[in-house]
Amino acid sequence: MSHVPTGKPTGKEPAGLRYPTNGKTIYHRPLNRSKTAELSQSSFAYLFSEMVTYAQRRVTGIQELEKRLNNQGHPIGLKLLDLLLIREPARSQTRPLNIISLLQFIKMSLWQHLFGRQADRLEKSSNPDTPDEYMIIDNEPLVNAYISVPREMSQLNCAAYVAGIVEGVCDGAAFPARVTAHSVGGNEDGEMWPGKTVFLLKFQPEVLEREALIASKV
Amino acid sequence: MVIYSFYIFDRHTECIYSKLWLPPSAAAAAAPATPATANIVTGDGAGSVTLAPRGGPHNTDRRSVKVKASDDAKLIFGTVFSLRNMVRKLGGDDDAFISYRTGQYKLHYYETASSLRFVMLTDTTTLSMRSVLHQIYINLWVEYVVKNPLAPVEHKGGDGVKNELFELGLDQFVRGLM
Amino acid sequence: MMSASKASRLGEEIWKTRIDKVNSELVVLTYGTIVAQLCKDFDSDYVEVNKQLDKMGYNIGLRLIEDYLAKSNTMRRCANFRETAEMIAKVGFKIFLNITPTITNWTSDSKQFSLVFDENPLADFVELPDDGRAQDELWFSNILCGVLRGALEMVQMQVEAHFISDVLRGNDTTEMRISLIRYIDDELPPEDD
Repeated sequence: MSHVPTGKPTGKEPAGLRYPTNGKTIYHRPLNRSKTAELSQSSFAYLFSEMVTYAQRRVTGIQELEKRLNNQGHPIGLKLLDLLLIREPARSQTRPLNIISLLQFIKMSLWQHLFGRQADRLEKSSNPDTPDEYMIIDNEPLVNAYISVPREMSQLNCAAYVAGIVEGVCDGAAFPARVTAHSVGGNEDGEMWPGKTVFLLKFQPEVLEREALIASKV
Repeated sequence: MVIYSFYIFDRHTECIYSKLWLPPSAAAAAAPATPATANIVTGDGAGSVTLAPRGGPHNTDRRSVKVKASDDAKLIFGTVFSLRNMVRKLGGDDDAFISYRTGQYKLHYYETASSLRFVMLTDTTTLSMRSVLHQIYINLWVEYVVKNPLAPVEHKGGDGVKNELFELGLDQFVRGLM
Repeated sequence: MMSASKASRLGEEIWKTRIDKVNSELVVLTYGTIVAQLCKDFDSDYVEVNKQLDKMGYNIGLRLIEDYLAKSNTMRRCANFRETAEMIAKVGFKIFLNITPTITNWTSDSKQFSLVFDENPLADFVELPDDGRAQDELWFSNILCGVLRGALEMVQMQVEAHFISDVLRGNDTTEMRISLIRYIDDELPPEDD
């Protein structure tokens, strides 16, 4: 690991980061070290909780709050796209090249990694006016496990954070999209999944154009 | 087993949650036409604790009922707090006040190390409810109030306690016991 | 009083059997995005970021203690501050972050000790900004100080906690210093008049 900087810089160096002499830097850790590591779900709940509370103090409405949560998820999506692809076996280490394989990647790899299970369903909008819309459905989003939304905020779905992660993955894979989270569970008796959430992906026009172009050439 | 009521007090000695379950006979009497006057009177005569149900009494001023309920809560807290202090004084710091019984009801007490106090009033024949209170704490309070990001950390005026998941869970759990 | 090895076994047992788990990267990346957002909101005023992190941690501590007590089935207070330290390191950190920091550097009055973190999952993917200031001003994991302060306050101990070194700053260890200021009395109900 001679290429990795180690030790404190000797003398006075004006710029550059200092590193511990024992070489405990991120460059010395295998990237897969925390691939299967686990932490307590409560720890996540508390951090997420503080994130939502902090965001709440700096916004004026539910839409703005969701936008902020979305923004905080976005960079994570960008990073996870690379991280998850690198961890694939060499032969499947390719970026998704069409919408369907991108959605499959999100439904399977991304969800499996973050939440320990796949998303429940993928759907394409059946409305002919919105061919650019796709849906990822999660019956019971982990991030909402402890959230009981008061009536006056019933529009709020904190899974906007996850929507941001998904958006980051799409953007990183060069499928720019807007992703939003919507509660569809309802509270009627007998509803199996009261917390059911639809992640609505609305791709930019150029994504569909490209898709059409590729399809016409095959 | 009949459970009459349930209270939670926080470390600031404030009652942050209370709920009353009407005994079956009283619940029947509280049908729409009849005013819900099914007060649970405990103790024997003087100095008795009267617990007004929170439901809408038709012939009583709503505010006075509210004031009454909050007086009850204060009285209960004062009582259990004194008992718990006395118990520790006599039995040592590790001793715990668990319950007391009158001719009419039994009061069960559970206090966490974080100074949350859970109180439940039942009929006199009910066995110890300490583990029930403990279950309410770990399975309902911690899961649905403490971990709910939309609930504040401190519950001044009961803020954030009465959320759907907690209320529903508590009602189901308690009805399951009766 | 619970011995160190018994606390260890308790922590292990709870972690193995009573904790719902999630992928650590979900937690770690979420923490990262929180710190990044703070740095943005406060224009890289790291002193302020430290403060905000401590405040967030304090709020978490107030909640987390309930979870700790519920999971560990704690029915009684620790006998003294040394026992408290054992429980923090071997049970608390174990069940929430799956690490066991080392307790060391006690003062002779048993009111101050250090936690040394050989591992710190919060910092798993982190390198501080190379702006000539972050390594001198930002305590990346400062939220943990707040957590301890909040959690211990709920069990009637007022403490002060701060980091004194961090491998992210180029130090060889990551060390937090914790001091007991006082035990807090029960709050009394307001006098009726």
